[in-house]
This record gives sequence, structure tokens and C-alpha cells, in this order.
Amino acid sequence: MGLLGATLPIQYMGKQEVILGHNNKRYKINTRWSQADAARYPVNNCHEMVQDKKGRILLLTDETRNNVLIYNKNGKILDSWGTEYPGAHGFTLFHENGEDMLFICDNNRHQVIKTTIDGRVLMTLDYPKESGVYAKAEEYVPTETAIAPNGDIYVADGYGKDYIIQYNHKGEYIRHFGGKGDTPAHLSNAHGICVDLRDKANPCLVVSSRLQNAFKRYDLTGKYLETIDLKGAWVCRPVIKGEYLYAAVLQSNNSTGAQSGFVTILDKNNKVVSNLAGSTPQYQGNQIEEMYQTIKAFQYPHDVLIDDEECMYVAQWNSGKTYPIKLEPVI
Amino acid sequence: MKIWILPTLLVLYTVSINAQDNFQLARPLLKYPSVFFTNEVAVEMAFAEANTQIRYTLDGREPTENAPLYTQPVRITKGFTTVKARVFSKIYQPSDVVEATFIKDGLPIKSLENTAPNPKYKGSGAMTLIDNKGGTTNISGNTWLGFQADTVDIVVQLPKKEKVKNVLVNLLRDYGSWIFLPEKIEVYAFKNDAFQLVDNKAFKQDNNVNGAACVPIVFALKNGIKTDKLKIQLHLVKQIPEWHAGKGNKSWIFVDEVKAY
Repeated sequence: MGLLGATLPIQYMGKQEVILGHNNKRYKINTRWSQADAARYPVNNCHEMVQDKKGRILLLTDETRNNVLIYNKNGKILDSWGTEYPGAHGFTLFHENGEDMLFICDNNRHQVIKTTIDGRVLMTLDYPKESGVYAKAEEYVPTETAIAPNGDIYVADGYGKDYIIQYNHKGEYIRHFGGKGDTPAHLSNAHGICVDLRDKANPCLVVSSRLQNAFKRYDLTGKYLETIDLKGAWVCRPVIKGEYLYAAVLQSNNSTGAQSGFVTILDKNNKVVSNLAGSTPQYQGNQIEEMYQTIKAFQYPHDVLIDDEECMYVAQWNSGKTYPIKLEPVI
Repeated sequence: MKIWILPTLLVLYTVSINAQDNFQLARPLLKYPSVFFTNEVAVEMAFAEANTQIRYTLDGREPTENAPLYTQPVRITKGFTTVKARVFSKIYQPSDVVEATFIKDGLPIKSLENTAPNPKYKGSGAMTLIDNKGGTTNISGNTWLGFQADTVDIVVQLPKKEKVKNVLVNLLRDYGSWIFLPEKIEVYAFKNDAFQLVDNKAFKQDNNVNGAACVPIVFALKNGIKTDKLKIQLHLVKQIPEWHAGKGNKSWIFVDEVKAY
């Protein structure tokens, strides 16, 4: 027994260190980042994460004992709040005149809630009657928000009718677009949305059409621009940091219902340059080849956050109540 | 006794802290036009991850590190050949096995009638179950018929009386999409002016399986049965079991091909 105990670690140390990803986007993985005590700070689905201006990492979970967990970058819990969001799903942070504001999408409440960074409710948006496309709240299941620099609020109804609803900063309805249908401008599981300001002259929206394994671009008035095909990848919300677009991939299309997620990274031309725990990106001309999980490092990734030090955090859905995973870039 | 406890605990501890990041590889991809074929079919395997190797078998055994290395598409000419493939590397644990069974043409079929499928899953039309297409787990293509009727009847007419030894029905199991194997399947042969029950199988749902899989079910008819008409009757799981998120609801049955031999 003693001999066996001594040889096992050597065998493992002999293994090469795990590096995930491709090209200039490669990462070391730390599955033990969170120091949260599960008895005190339980999670259910870990849906989304943001970083506030103090550098803290905020996690949104649909566990109503603490809907929001606040970490430092070393994984230590600093604070928590929130007991009223049973369907907590979308989590977006917006700098409003220098203040951090949060937008929560609640699937069960069929509402979008704007709060301060410590959870004080400032505004609640009910289902958009004014749009004329909803008969009752239950038809509207918002999954994500994105806030434009002018304060306009875009809500993705990703588990409802797949419309994007645009409001002004006061929460007054402006228009809706997208929705289910057969043209390229339509959406299928509009699970996430972000405002893309990488091309300063042409700001746009990037929206997930997850069942179509694609992102779709629209201008800020909802005019459809183009589809970014991500064959095989059930992409969650797009997250832009610097010149890159990052996204959690819930699962691979070739292996659904089997914990086959990974993380994908696109460059400023919206070409996939790296898949963390996924297949090496390959293009035939402009067409991407089908992507899929290759390493079972993740189960069902649901969101990524890139912090101020370029580290990545991955929150997961339906993954055994596990806490987020941290990844550090390999230079 | 006490002397042994400490080293044992050490072993357990060391394994548990190291094992967490000793990730397993995912399964490789098998690519083929259809599992149903007439003369031969080429099976391509893919796994776009550096420093990994795909190894495969055609004899039903689990592929080990010594199994043949995949380098080019594998040609299959023999019916009921099961391809099993797995990925190996020095860094990660070997993948689970991916498999597909390739099924050769059977007796010619003159015509076919079946219970109307749900309009959302109506395949490619009336000939879907005898078009030699299918055997992939993709339900958004047009190879599968999806049913939610309590019983599904599939009647197959042969051009003439033949000694039928085997009947095959290819099903999908995909719990994530509420697609279950039927509770029971009965096979009838038309003899003496009536359908007579010649075989049946009951199915238990296994809540330990994950993901989607094609499940070919073969009925071996004792000594063969001389007939020109067969009826396959599938009975739906009318209430999804307790352990499933859709408990109490109706399940689905998905079928993409039937054959007689």
C-alpha cells in the first residue's frame, strides 16, 4: 500500500500540463477556484457572471438563498444578496454615469429587473404589451439584456418568442425585431445579446441564435446585417473584451444531452481562432467546419467573463451545482 | 490494522486531488451518409485535437490502445457490422466508445403503410421508412418519423411470399428530447387471412444512459415464417417515468427504417 501511495502522484506528475485552446488564446484551467462553502453559499444553475468597477466578480444563480454571489478574483466570497429571483438567468452590468447598474432577466417572473450593484431594485420591466405580439406574460421568457451607450435596453426573449425588444433608458418601448421564422433575420433560441462597439463607426448588436448554432448581427435599430455561422456550437451570449468575442458553448450539436460543452473565441473579423476543450477551428474558404467538444473539461458552460487581467471565468448550467471555473491565459 | 489506514487514506487523497483535472477525451465523430447500405458504405472518423489517435474495431470488441489506428475512411461491405471507435492521448484519459451498426439491404419491399407521424417530424414522406436513409441522431433532418400516437402500426407488403427470418426496426433513444424506446413492440405476420403475432419485445427505460443513440431492434422469427405481409406495432410510453424532467407526459417514438430478411 505504501509503495502504491508513493507511485501514484509521480505517474500524474509525469503527465503534461493541461493547456486548453488554440493560437494566441490558450489557457490553464483551475477547477478549484471557488472557495465558497456549499452549505453557506449554495448554487443551483450558475447562469452568468460580470465584473464590477471594484474588480469584484459577481455570479448570478437561480438558488434563491443567494441569487448573487460576490467573489474576489482569488475565489473568496465577499458578499451575497438576492432571494427573489427564482428564474435568475441573464446578468448584465452597465456603467451609468460612472455607477455600476445590473440588469437581471428572470425566466420564471417573466420580467427584467434593474438593480444597483448591491441589489436595490430601480426598475422592473414586465412583458412588452406595447409590442402587440404578446397576449400574456407567460409567452415572454427573457434570457438576456444588452445596454447601448445611450442607455437603450435590448431584451432577448430567448425562451419565449425569440424577439429582441428595444426600450429607451426609462424603459419605454421603442420597437421589436427578430422573432421566430424562416428568413436569415429570424432567430431560434435568442439566448444572448451584446452591443458590439469594436468597429467604432458601425456599432451593432450580436445576438445568439443558439438552435441554429449561429450569431446574428443587427444594427442598433434592428436591421439585420449578417449571420456568423458557428456550425455545431450551441452558443450562449457573446461577450466582448478588447478585440475578441468570447462565448460559452452549452453543448456540441453532435452530442446533445451529454455534457459536451466548450468555450469559443472569435477575433475582430468574427472568425473562430480558439476553442477551449473544443475542436481545432478549421475553415474551408469562409465556411467553418463543424465544431465539437474534444476534452471533457466542462459540462454545460453557460457564460464566460473576461476580467481586467484577461482571466476567464466559466459559469455552468445543470452541472451538479458546481461553482465557476477560472482559466488563466498562457502567454 | 492501524498501520494500513494512513497509507490508504493517502492514496485516496492523492487520487482525489489529482483526478479532478485528469480530464477525459470526448468521443470521436463517425461520419457516414446513412447506416443503411446496398453494396458498401465508407465510414469517416474525425477528432480535431492535436496529439490524439483514433483507434477502432469492426468485430464488436472495445477498442484498446492496440486496436487499428484510423488513417482513412473504413469500407464496410458486411451487414450488421458494428464500428466502435475511441480516442487516445498521453495527456488525457481515453474517450468513451462511439459506435454505429451498419445495416445491409433486406428483402425487397413493394409498399408500406404507417400510422400518420406528427406533422413536425414527417421525414421525407411516405417512403421514409424504406428509403435506406438514416441512422444518425439528428432529428432536425428528414430521415426520422416522430410519433406521439398511443400505438404506431407499420405494415410492410412484400412483392411475393417469402420465408422471413428477421425483422428489423431502427429506433432513436434521446431522453433530452423526450424520445423513448416503445414500451413494447409486437411483430405480426399475415397468414391464413389474418395477422398473427409472431414475436414481441418489451423495453425497460434505463435512466443511466446519456445523450442520443440509434437502437436497431431485430426480431428473429423461429425457423422463418412464410408470408408476404408484416405488421410492426409499437406501443408508446404514455407516461414518462418519475426520474425524467417530463414525468407524467407522453413520450415520443422515432423510427427511421424497417427491414425484413
